[in-house]
Amino acid sequence: MKLVTWSLATFHATTFVLAIVLFAYSRNALGAGLSGLNTFVGLGLFVALWATTYVTTSRALRGLDLISSARDRGAYPRRTLRWGAANGMSFLAILGAVALVAAIANTRPGQVTSGILVPFLFIAPIALVASAAVGGAVGALFGIIDLALFAVAGLTGEEAKPID
Amino acid sequence: MELDPNVLHVAIRWLHVAAMATAFGGAMTVLALAARPGADSASAVVSVAIRYEWMFWAAAGVLAMTGIGNLAAFGAALLGPSTDWGATLLLKLGSVLALVVLSLPRTLAVARVRASTTPDSDSVTRLRNLYGASTGAFALILALAIWLAHGIAR
Repeated sequence: MKLVTWSLATFHATTFVLAIVLFAYSRNALGAGLSGLNTFVGLGLFVALWATTYVTTSRALRGLDLISSARDRGAYPRRTLRWGAANGMSFLAILGAVALVAAIANTRPGQVTSGILVPFLFIAPIALVASAAVGGAVGALFGIIDLALFAVAGLTGEEAKPID
Repeated sequence: MELDPNVLHVAIRWLHVAAMATAFGGAMTVLALAARPGADSASAVVSVAIRYEWMFWAAAGVLAMTGIGNLAAFGAALLGPSTDWGATLLLKLGSVLALVVLSLPRTLAVARVRASTTPDSDSVTRLRNLYGASTGAFALILALAIWLAHGIAR
């Protein structure tokens, strides 16, 4: 595990969630939204998002040295688009699996196929495409934000020189 | 066996406070090390700063996760943003978001200093300024959190 990967992944997960919370609360919609969420499920969803974001961020950074190489930093935004889409799909897959298991557990056995599985198979591909689009857009946005923060840290377009 | 929701909420609050203590206390520790005039070598300060950055991001994730858990404990009784308490919460959430965003350049700067061949006194001065700013931001967020927990205008 590398510090840059760990910090970028956690930065993305926490900033994403904090921005949503801040927006929802400013619209007075947070209390109603959170009151319907079981505490364990809420914590579990955050951990799942954190984990998928870490895995996809580490894949996006594979072979790149963002600290020392301007060329690698230039290649980074394209990867954030692709791996952001993968993150959106991964998180939705976890969300869908949990929802599916919960729905099956709360449905009479005779109604599982027609009431749960068929609608699920119909909705899942559409939801995956939508999650890829949203994940890719969020990933691309974070790619731009990351580049701006690299510049704030002194990692500009030129090859970063050691501080001496 | 069903877990008492109050026990769960106390555990989440305890975890939230522990993560904040780790993040705030760690920043103060690195600041104190970097501010000592010539007592510690630059490489020692950078080494402690690197360890802190690992802990900081773990604490940041835990703080976000448990912070939302704390808000969820209010449920539908959560006061709106138009109240004094709500305005303070908005200010706190905005401050936390700003701290997280501005912490990434700090982490990258520390990683950059570590990548340099020999960290010098200028590097330590830069780290001292970065950790001074982080410590100040933590102090502000802590003050807002104390006001939210014990403020009278709820």
